Amino acid sequence: MTSFLDSIGYGRWILHVLLLLPVVGVVPVLLGREAWAKWTALVVTLAEFVLSVGLWWSLIPGLGDMQLVTNAVWIREWGIAYRVGIDGISMVMVLLTTSLMPLSVLASWRYITSRERGFYALMLTLLTGLLGVFIALDMFLFYVFFEVMLIPMYFIIGVWGGTNRLYAAIKFFIYTMAGSLLMLVAIVALVWRVRAVTGQMSFSYSYLLEHASAAGAAAPWLFAAFALAFAIKVPIFPFHTWLPDAHVEAPTAGSVLLASVMLKIGTYGFLRFAVPFFPQVALSPAVSRLMVALAVIGIIYGALVALVQPDFKKLVAYSSVSHLGFVMLGIWGMTLQSVQGALMVMISHGFSTGALFLLIGMLYERRHTRLIADYGGLARVVPVFSLILTLVALSSIGLPGLNGFVGEFLVLLGSFAAYPWATGIATTGVIFAAAYLLWAIQRLIYNRLDDRENEHLRDLSFRELAVLVPLVVGIVWLGLYPRPVLTRMEPASRKFVEAVMPGSTPAATLGATAAIPGSGR
Amino acid sequence: MTRLDLSTPLGLTLALLPEIVLSAWALVVLLVVSWRHRSAEDSRLAGWLSFAGVAVSAAALAALWVNGVTSDGLAQMVALDPFRYGVAAVALLSAGATILLSLGYLERERLLAPEYYPLVLLATAGMMFLGGAEDLIVLFLGLELMSVSVYVLAGFNRANAFSAEAALKYFLIGAFASGFLLYGIALVYGATGTTNLSLGGAQLAGKPLGLMASLGLGLLLIGFGFKVAAVPFHMWAPDVYDGSPTPVTGFMATGVKAAAFAALVRVLMETFPAAASTWQPIVAGLAIASMVLGNLVALTQRSIKRLLAYSSIAHAGYLLAAVWPGTPVGAGAVLLYLVAYSLTTLAAFGLLAWLGRNGERDVTLNDIAGLAATRPGIAFGLTVCMLSLLGFPGTFGFIGKWYIISALVAEGQYALPVIVVLTSVVSAGYYLPIVMAMYMRPAPSADRYSAVRLAPTAAGAIAVAVAAVLLFGVWPAGVLDLAGQSGRTLTQTGVPIAGP
Repeated sequence: MTSFLDSIGYGRWILHVLLLLPVVGVVPVLLGREAWAKWTALVVTLAEFVLSVGLWWSLIPGLGDMQLVTNAVWIREWGIAYRVGIDGISMVMVLLTTSLMPLSVLASWRYITSRERGFYALMLTLLTGLLGVFIALDMFLFYVFFEVMLIPMYFIIGVWGGTNRLYAAIKFFIYTMAGSLLMLVAIVALVWRVRAVTGQMSFSYSYLLEHASAAGAAAPWLFAAFALAFAIKVPIFPFHTWLPDAHVEAPTAGSVLLASVMLKIGTYGFLRFAVPFFPQVALSPAVSRLMVALAVIGIIYGALVALVQPDFKKLVAYSSVSHLGFVMLGIWGMTLQSVQGALMVMISHGFSTGALFLLIGMLYERRHTRLIADYGGLARVVPVFSLILTLVALSSIGLPGLNGFVGEFLVLLGSFAAYPWATGIATTGVIFAAAYLLWAIQRLIYNRLDDRENEHLRDLSFRELAVLVPLVVGIVWLGLYPRPVLTRMEPASRKFVEAVMPGSTPAATLGATAAIPGSGR
Repeated sequence: MTRLDLSTPLGLTLALLPEIVLSAWALVVLLVVSWRHRSAEDSRLAGWLSFAGVAVSAAALAALWVNGVTSDGLAQMVALDPFRYGVAAVALLSAGATILLSLGYLERERLLAPEYYPLVLLATAGMMFLGGAEDLIVLFLGLELMSVSVYVLAGFNRANAFSAEAALKYFLIGAFASGFLLYGIALVYGATGTTNLSLGGAQLAGKPLGLMASLGLGLLLIGFGFKVAAVPFHMWAPDVYDGSPTPVTGFMATGVKAAAFAALVRVLMETFPAAASTWQPIVAGLAIASMVLGNLVALTQRSIKRLLAYSSIAHAGYLLAAVWPGTPVGAGAVLLYLVAYSLTTLAAFGLLAWLGRNGERDVTLNDIAGLAATRPGIAFGLTVCMLSLLGFPGTFGFIGKWYIISALVAEGQYALPVIVVLTSVVSAGYYLPIVMAMYMRPAPSADRYSAVRLAPTAAGAIAVAVAAVLLFGVWPAGVLDLAGQSGRTLTQTGVPIAGP
């Protein structure tokens, strides 16, 4: 595979093509016929996925540095360039994005019935924005992508959303923008401070990382600005209030992308920027205690609130707050295991929660209600749907053998040494997750079938199966055999931990993965 | 680099070619319209003639700029530096766009008095003198030439009481402001013995600012505060912007503001660089007040025109924040932001002019609900404008704001940039509902917007402006370089700037 990729010069063009193709695809979507829009979008997103798969083999094994790096001058005077590249972490996030995108398009097939051209054009623009965030290695470029992807999502929620969509859209937009604009000031401040020391103005990520100590006394403020931007995006309690509104009001595809990819941009931001730039601040006792406390509060609070939601979509939305708490705990656990676990949670949450949103969307298309109380006894009417829902819910709970378990287990394992109490409390989050999801599943598909309207629901169509089966395969695969993913992320995770906490990495390479079922050598 | 000998008539003429062309052209057009001033064709003729004048003047300006013309003498009356050319370019841009936007608008509103166009040209000549003045007397002459022409333009819709109110208010407040400015000029002359900006700066350098010079500086700041509509000298702006014919509002919000800001930057950086510690707190105070009040009050507006008026006060605040550093980077930021803001605002007011009738005072969000479904082009254009005013990446407005933040942070100033971005977040609260109304709300009826149709000239001008906003948002290197160079030349002849 590697030699084939080399022979077509894959590494030289792939990142640019991935960024450019969706934007180019917007043109035929907008100019073509209304009925063709979704087909064009599907073809483009599938092409993106197929193209991106090669990334899996294109990274040098064991190397944690940025690879496939391109550097083209954009604004010379200010040291701004089109710098892109990936490491194991970005690669996995890119693959997560490109794999979920065609599924989201397919899930919108019948859900979106008005202004289809606009919808699919926005989806493609969003794809470029999301990919850009994960592969940008220039702070200016990163910021542009970070902000620009707001616009398509804002329209997707605001135009095709539910009844309360206008409120949800503007809340989502203003929350995110407030954080990111302060980050912009911090980026500019960091660049000027580095320039004051080295005499060179550059927005390059690696250059700034190398000289970030120039921030000096301003470091706590700069970290705070970065952290706020990403904390809103994650979202960390208490910045989460935009999330239930946005997730519930968005159309299915919007919810899937919000939960599965956009939330990860927050945690990715912590891993890539906030913590590596200012490790002393991030690891200072006050900050790390605060972040761990907020992570644990998020885990428990999200789970408790999810428990009492009458609306299944809202339940899933709050469960995201809980899951992302595990990611934050893992990042601040600051061991190779916990960081690898955090990344695993990011991926498996992308699959499981994406699948849950897709499933509830399919149910909504049939019955036009998301209230758990309106259902019951579905297992007899729609057995295939019920089977998949149960499987996905179990993976979200963290059942061993499915994907959710791997990440959360690694996070808890890796964080226990540093934060025994917090980790102990976080463990109860897993129990709560079982409570809210199993209870919801019981009310949805078991119990008695007492509503006559539910008696004639159709089971999943071929198209819907085509959307769900890849996710189910991913869920089972990641649960049984996560090793390939873990090994590909490990060099980058190791580099992160070593850079932030010099001399702390465990010696054994397999330390991170040995404890996982199916992952032993 | 071409050096001009300013002691010869030829050298002087060449140095002032853009202004001379424009003034002479205005008189010619005035002559033409005294014969032909009855029909719509006459009005259109005057419009196109004037547009040609703007184009010729722009060509003269480009020739000066490209050849990098400088002078060898000191103490000239009008500057020969890229900063002047940049400001003049903004003024000409604003004039050209205003003429194109007015062509159909005046006919529709039945304002068929072709004197309108020569007045635009004269105001533009005034702006160019004001922005390029190297001498306080020229500065004042330019200011008056500009202001008097714009007073008339503001009241051009004689039949409309609000337009008359706007003109009167603008005139009274404007005369008041000119008084402050003139008094300030007199005091500065008294303190320095010269009206030349850099010579005055040389006089004031190296010693504490005396009482007379401080008073002069204060009065100048008040006068400029009125002209750029900074809080607390802004009270006239909403009514005047609101009552004037919409293309004139766009002209006032861009050209007038740009020229006044250029003059302010020049005075502060050439005459008072040594007194930075005196004027910086005042400028910061004006900037913060304008950003906070402009944005908060804009949130409560129902009429879109009035909303944009308050938003222009907020943008005066951002610009004042860029004036604060008093550095070449700051001057570059002012210039770049003026270009970005002018392009965007002209397009926004240009689009607004076609969404209503009789001054567009009563166009609210309900009047654009669902516009995107039947008029996607207008909705897209207005959306780009709103995002650019908001300072969103991918638009020129973002580059402008980013430059301002850069200029402030470079001087170790963090409070102002934080206020800039926080008030920008507030501004999302009124820019976004406009976008929402167009895209996310249903139209009251299917044929609600069948009458909304842009005149071809207006559509062309707006399309170019919107395209430029997007293009420079993605590819700003060229304009950034130009703005940076212009900022740097401003201080080359002046005294070194005091440290932060």
